[in-house]
Amino acid sequence: MASESAAQPGKLALDTPVGVIRDLLGKYQKTGDAYWRAVALFGVLFALGIIGFIMRLSDGVSDKAVWGYYAAMFAFILTTAQAAPMVAIATRLTKAHWRRPISRAAELWTIVGLFNLILFIPLLWVLPSLEDGRRSLWFFGNVDDIPIYSPHIWATLALVFLVIAGLMMLWVSCLPDLATIRDNSSGWRQRWAKRLAFQWRGTSAQWNMQHHRLGILGAFYFMMLVFVHFLISVDFLMALVPGWIDALFPATHAANALQAGAATMLLTLFFLRQFGGYKDYITLDQMWLLGKILFALSLLWFWFWFSSFIILWYGKRPNEQAVLELLMIGPYLPVFMAAFILNFLVPLFTMIWNPLRKSLWGPPLIATSVIIGTFFDRIRLYVATYTVPGIGDPAVDKHGALAMDAITKANLPDLADIFIIVGVIGGSILVFLLATRIIPSVSIWEQRELLLYKVHKPFHRTEVMVLGKRD
Amino acid sequence: MQDHIQIDHKDINRDLLSGVLGTPSWWLGAVVFLTLVFLAGIGAFGYMLNKGIGVTGLNRPIMWGFFMTNFVFWIGISHAGIMISAILRLTQAEWRRPITRAAEVMTVFSLMAALMAAPLVHVGRPWRAALWVFPYDFARGVWPNIRSPFIWDPSAVMTYLTASSLFVFVALLPDLAVIRDRATGKWAPKIYSALCMGWRGTPRQWKLQALAGILLSALVLPVFVSVHSIVSWDFAVNIGVEGWHSTIFAPYFIIGAIHSGVSAVAMLMAVMVWLWKLDKYIRPDHFDAIGRLLIVVATTWFFFFFLEWVFALYTLEGPELALRELQVFQWPYIFLFILFLMTAYFIPVPLWLFKKVRRSIPLMFFTTVLVNVGMWLERFLIIIPGMARKTPLTFDWGTYHPSLVEILMVASTFAWVALGMLLFSKVFPLIPIFDIKEGMVFRDEVKIGRRTIPASIRE
Repeated sequence: MASESAAQPGKLALDTPVGVIRDLLGKYQKTGDAYWRAVALFGVLFALGIIGFIMRLSDGVSDKAVWGYYAAMFAFILTTAQAAPMVAIATRLTKAHWRRPISRAAELWTIVGLFNLILFIPLLWVLPSLEDGRRSLWFFGNVDDIPIYSPHIWATLALVFLVIAGLMMLWVSCLPDLATIRDNSSGWRQRWAKRLAFQWRGTSAQWNMQHHRLGILGAFYFMMLVFVHFLISVDFLMALVPGWIDALFPATHAANALQAGAATMLLTLFFLRQFGGYKDYITLDQMWLLGKILFALSLLWFWFWFSSFIILWYGKRPNEQAVLELLMIGPYLPVFMAAFILNFLVPLFTMIWNPLRKSLWGPPLIATSVIIGTFFDRIRLYVATYTVPGIGDPAVDKHGALAMDAITKANLPDLADIFIIVGVIGGSILVFLLATRIIPSVSIWEQRELLLYKVHKPFHRTEVMVLGKRD
Repeated sequence: MQDHIQIDHKDINRDLLSGVLGTPSWWLGAVVFLTLVFLAGIGAFGYMLNKGIGVTGLNRPIMWGFFMTNFVFWIGISHAGIMISAILRLTQAEWRRPITRAAEVMTVFSLMAALMAAPLVHVGRPWRAALWVFPYDFARGVWPNIRSPFIWDPSAVMTYLTASSLFVFVALLPDLAVIRDRATGKWAPKIYSALCMGWRGTPRQWKLQALAGILLSALVLPVFVSVHSIVSWDFAVNIGVEGWHSTIFAPYFIIGAIHSGVSAVAMLMAVMVWLWKLDKYIRPDHFDAIGRLLIVVATTWFFFFFLEWVFALYTLEGPELALRELQVFQWPYIFLFILFLMTAYFIPVPLWLFKKVRRSIPLMFFTTVLVNVGMWLERFLIIIPGMARKTPLTFDWGTYHPSLVEILMVASTFAWVALGMLLFSKVFPLIPIFDIKEGMVFRDEVKIGRRTIPASIRE
């Protein structure tokens, strides 16, 4: 499905490659007051986050309970911003034309991965080593010669590879646009684009290579995303709770990310359309189709949650009951209920209606619900887990421990936590906003390519759109 | 889809109705052979009823064997119809058109095969099942235990069977009208006339039929997910057998079912090309598309398999580790385990990475047969070793050897599905005629520079 407006009367300029280049370059080069006001706002929030981080650091890293909110925010960005590029990857691999106006915005979120990588560093000090005795993916105690910092090493490597894959994908995707900027602008943008465009001339060989590299990098990004979720959800979460054994949980963690990534993109598209000036490109088609995907992923959220819950609940083993008590029905029940309602019930009972899915405001509102629900979900998982005593204390826990002794009461955020929460969210959006000034938010080459694939033809007594599909 | 073949509507009618209005030369022989195999299974079942369940290889502690493996296998195969038809229909994938009908029909017959292989068969006196339901003995205050798989499974499977049959029927309506207009003889026109429910192809009827298709696609998907989830929970809620009590079972079973089901559809496509000569409709492009889908499905399945194993080891619990040791290192499971992994993933998936393999009908047939061998073994390896291991407070342990009775009954379910498909093909077209015609109307071309690429009309 393509941008409708290109075919509307009065928008003829967008029906030609030159018109598309002029229009999108104009939007990219023009920076309004609203943009700078938003940058200032999120800059202030980010500064608050730095203050909160310094306050948190003053508590030291030995008590992991106080770092629960920090870990939750790292996981929140991993689940939302770093999963948003999947919208571009999945739609590009399936050759869906409706992706064209939105793929670049999705790829731009990969830059936020760099910000999250920096956020991850303090968690390496907070996480107990295997020496302290606990379960791990790396089976410490059963296999000799396993480094005691295996979880730290592998998770860091995986996260670094994820970020590199994301940035590479963004760069390869931008190459034709960088060449366009190089040839059609002046000043710092031209100098910068000239360096990064790497002699792009648009030869057949270059286009073929770009096409293949995008496919490979996209597949690699997806695999790394799943792998990072696997490592983080086990070694930085599940392993901290004695007796928490849930084989499905890594997949659930990753599936939540796909849902939250789609929601992040819906909200991004809404803002780009309403405030970024991209109404001619981002249409109801994109909202509708991405809304359908969000709806399906919200159903998946329930299925994955229920599949775990029914087994733990039915089994009635002490360790399983304790885990349910900790994460769902105990002190974090209100947070869990909020996540359940916002992530599943709200999308289910709203997105089921086609008129709402086809509206401009419906999908972004539901996406907001999902993002807030994901925020609560990460809070109940990470904050609750980080307050569990024992792990890291050799006197209390050895990996033979089958269940938690007692459930501690809910850990409410203090001022430092609140600053960290707003700072991480503000910082991520700030990074994204700054990235839109360096790289066009809508892919110029993909819009131009669409003009080649799309023709209008008479069909009986009407006119229809015919869309071609490449190999 | 790079093939761009336009076929005249008359030719479509002639080609796709050739099996209905005529009889292929091989058809009768195949039907007779399959009927004999099926009857052999029925005979074995009768023998088991007469002699008792002792004629099977089932014995303490392994009370679930071939029957249950076969039940899970056929439930898995039945997922293909909905997977291919509903999901691809909702996503408007053009390549679905020639394969939806056969996949949907396979769902129906596979579900019947699952019911034949279902737990009822080996409870000892299956006729008593009727007495549990009708007439129900309210006076004694005995109520069905809703926590029992005996309630979950039949409810889920029967709902799925009803929904799938409805799905097939709605999609058949326009084709039934085509056959009605061409059928000869005394009864056939009357029967088709009744079945097609007055279909005249008015705009309103088309609109309703399309709407019903979309609605059924959307509604049947949760049913499809629930069926195999429930089958998996038959095992997973049990804490008494090592290897079963795992949260991952529902998604793992579903993705495994899709893996084997989509492979079965690819097998079926090859058979349709070879036996019914439908190569004008099922093109190498279709095999290419289903091959790509299979790479994704198989790799996702492998990820879940990996998770299941990692978390079995992650528990660091002695009995769980001992079970895994039994599954991987002890005879005969070691042989079955290696065979399972090679056939379900390590041989087919690397081959599918090559376009030449994906576009080769014999190779696709061969690799998808391998997948189904592997997936049958997967179910066997989930069910049997857990029960075979010595556990506290049990006084019997040992391995399992299927008897001839069980082998014949398993063979009869395969014969039943194949026979059902053959009989169906004699009265209804295996490829939806209206869908193919619609595809031809939507098909177009776009010229880019000196190249012409296939395109389709979008509403």
